[in-house]
Amino acid sequence: MSTDQDKLITELVEKGLTGDMEPINSIEDRVLRSKAKAALAKAKRAAKSQETAEPKKKKSEEKSSDDLPSSVNLNEKIVYMINEKFPGSLANENTETHIQLKSDQWFEIATWLKSEPSLSFDSLQCQTGIDVGDNTLEARYNFHSMKHNHYTEIRIAVPRKEATIPSVEQIWRIADWFERETYDMLGIEFSGHRDLRRILLPDDWEGWPLRKDYLVQETYHGIVVPKMKEGWE
Amino acid sequence: MGLLENRFNDNVIVEKLDKLLSWGRSTSPWFFQFGTACCAIEMMAAAASRHDLMRIGMIPRSSPRQADVMIVAGTVTMKMALRVKKLYEQMADPKYVVAMGSCATSGGPYWQHGYHVLKGVDIVIPVDVYVPGCPPRPEALIEGLLKLQEQILDERPLTRKMA
Amino acid sequence: MGVVHGEEMVLNIGPQHPATHGVLRLQVRTDGEVVSEVTPYLGYLHRCFEKHCENVTYEQVIPFTDRCDYLASMTNNFGYVVAMEGLMDIKVNERVEHIRVIMAELQRIASHLLGLGAFGLDIGAFTPFLHMLRDRERILDLFEMTCGARLLYNYMWVGGLSHDLPVGFVESTYRFLDYFEPKIDEFVKLLVHNKIFVERTADVGRLPQDIAISYGVSGPNLRASGQKWDLRKDDPYSIYDRFEFDIPVGEGGKGSVGDCWDRFYVRVLEMKESIKILRQALSSLPKEGDVYQSLPKKIRPPIGSIYKRTESPRGDLGYYIESDGTNIPYRLKMRSPAFTALSVIDEIAAGWLLSDVLAILGSLDIVLGEIDR
Repeated sequence: MSTDQDKLITELVEKGLTGDMEPINSIEDRVLRSKAKAALAKAKRAAKSQETAEPKKKKSEEKSSDDLPSSVNLNEKIVYMINEKFPGSLANENTETHIQLKSDQWFEIATWLKSEPSLSFDSLQCQTGIDVGDNTLEARYNFHSMKHNHYTEIRIAVPRKEATIPSVEQIWRIADWFERETYDMLGIEFSGHRDLRRILLPDDWEGWPLRKDYLVQETYHGIVVPKMKEGWE
Repeated sequence: MGLLENRFNDNVIVEKLDKLLSWGRSTSPWFFQFGTACCAIEMMAAAASRHDLMRIGMIPRSSPRQADVMIVAGTVTMKMALRVKKLYEQMADPKYVVAMGSCATSGGPYWQHGYHVLKGVDIVIPVDVYVPGCPPRPEALIEGLLKLQEQILDERPLTRKMA
Repeated sequence: MGVVHGEEMVLNIGPQHPATHGVLRLQVRTDGEVVSEVTPYLGYLHRCFEKHCENVTYEQVIPFTDRCDYLASMTNNFGYVVAMEGLMDIKVNERVEHIRVIMAELQRIASHLLGLGAFGLDIGAFTPFLHMLRDRERILDLFEMTCGARLLYNYMWVGGLSHDLPVGFVESTYRFLDYFEPKIDEFVKLLVHNKIFVERTADVGRLPQDIAISYGVSGPNLRASGQKWDLRKDDPYSIYDRFEFDIPVGEGGKGSVGDCWDRFYVRVLEMKESIKILRQALSSLPKEGDVYQSLPKKIRPPIGSIYKRTESPRGDLGYYIESDGTNIPYRLKMRSPAFTALSVIDEIAAGWLLSDVLAILGSLDIVLGEIDR
């Protein structure tokens, strides 16, 4: 097709999209007229699919910008991706402040959290161990991404008697010392940790101090450990 | 000094020699900087240019074998208590101990729920002067050290003490 | 002629040592000069801070946070107070915000002065230490004028401050800034470009950027390795987004990027930036305002948790507070920057000489009270 004819067809299609069919119908050459009509039909189809796409986009944008802050949106996105890749590892679907996971596939999820390009959590900011009562201990991880500047919190709950969580010290090197400290204070064991021993208290100390039912030992190497004095106020 | 201590009966010559020895010991006690926590910063500030500790004869020494006075500045924990005792035994006689700050005196702000804090360093070593404060000002530390110097001046090392 | 291999011995540096900043034990495996492995042992100053926080009220926690990082207690208080105000949704007035920023920046200068002086002392330079302490005493005079204490202040309370600024504080601070600015240049001439100091610290203990991020290093240590990350600009809290200041980043001025000299020089440049912030904050300080206006009568935060980070002179200081609705915290965890900075020492100190290990330890600027809590 020659360029003159191309230009003519585009002009006719434009006019046809606005509803003016006169110029197309008045072409005497039958081949040119049919080519112009085919191009017009194609253009109309393209315009229709764009229209149907736009309302969908508008709906999701409305939902995300009006009601929820961006970190909750990020939590939802992470939960959705975890449900796809690691089914069965979410403990509940609550995503307002944190993501609650089960401890079995934690090492794989952690590797994926660091390597996935849209998340890229390359920095473990803080790991807290906490005794939530009810015979449950929890380990809470706060992650941050230097690249995207977003953050999230992940919690893993374990029973008191058999508190074991897979260790992530191969992925974030600071988890080595954070996990040793959680082990020291609360007694949560991290399986796969290369050197899990007490870090702050002496090696022969008995008990896990930050548990709510901790009782201080009587003596340490001959020095009497005084009991904690209650009711002073 | 072990041979001559507590040897002689009380008379004029022994008394004058005693005074000379005590004066020599008291006017230049070198201190062993054993700083653990916040009080160590005030000890360093006391040794710096504004409140000068060197003008009362005290130089910081880092080894216990070269020091006369051990200033325990800061909290002593259970893990550290065994090492404190060892360091005290490494010092040569005559030796004195100053407990600086509330933590070394009686446990400080950690007295109530501190399971790992030693409630006062006098559980493991004998203390001569207590300097209260959290942290004590450098002027307070200097007053405590001057009191220690008065105490040393009153000693009678050569005289035989009554039983 | 072959190479002579000595036997390897295990040497203990500390826990009582003049050059370990506090009670730290480093177990060093060496053949006499070259170090092959460094293992830090902590816990000699573990004072059960977190257990105390579970048994005292929210107001009573503030003096305990002072004593954790005793060289920078204003910024410790600041971090806790910002976290609590985030949890309880309290807004403080303009005068309180300005005074908090002024105190935090003065504290940053004081902490860097002591850190740099102690580093010089470890290397063997005694004179800069005395110069730094002399200038630091002037800052402590300003603090004593305001709240009565020289080292541990208990100054920032949840919702306000404990004392208002006294008469004459602003003039005294301006006089101090005019006195201090030329002193930094004097210090730079004395120590920073000194040939012996450069020989001892340039190219020693290089910390690469990706290892630094993986180990959670933050603050001047991370900025010296080339990453431009400062919480005052990247995650602003309080009114830091109103002030104009630069973030100095290590560029390998005398050696490679991320060596001891860079960590040292970044702190010197940060003092200059703090002076800039101070001048801006002092000029925009509102004269009217009650510092006790937003103090709550009872501190009972709603049930929930918060993790908030602020910039202390050592790095990212984080507080994780979990509340159960009463006036006593359920769990309070302090994420200290020196803890993460010390964990990296095995990576960067292996392979250097014995005296370089102490230079590297001094350049990380750690405080044991914060590590052991």
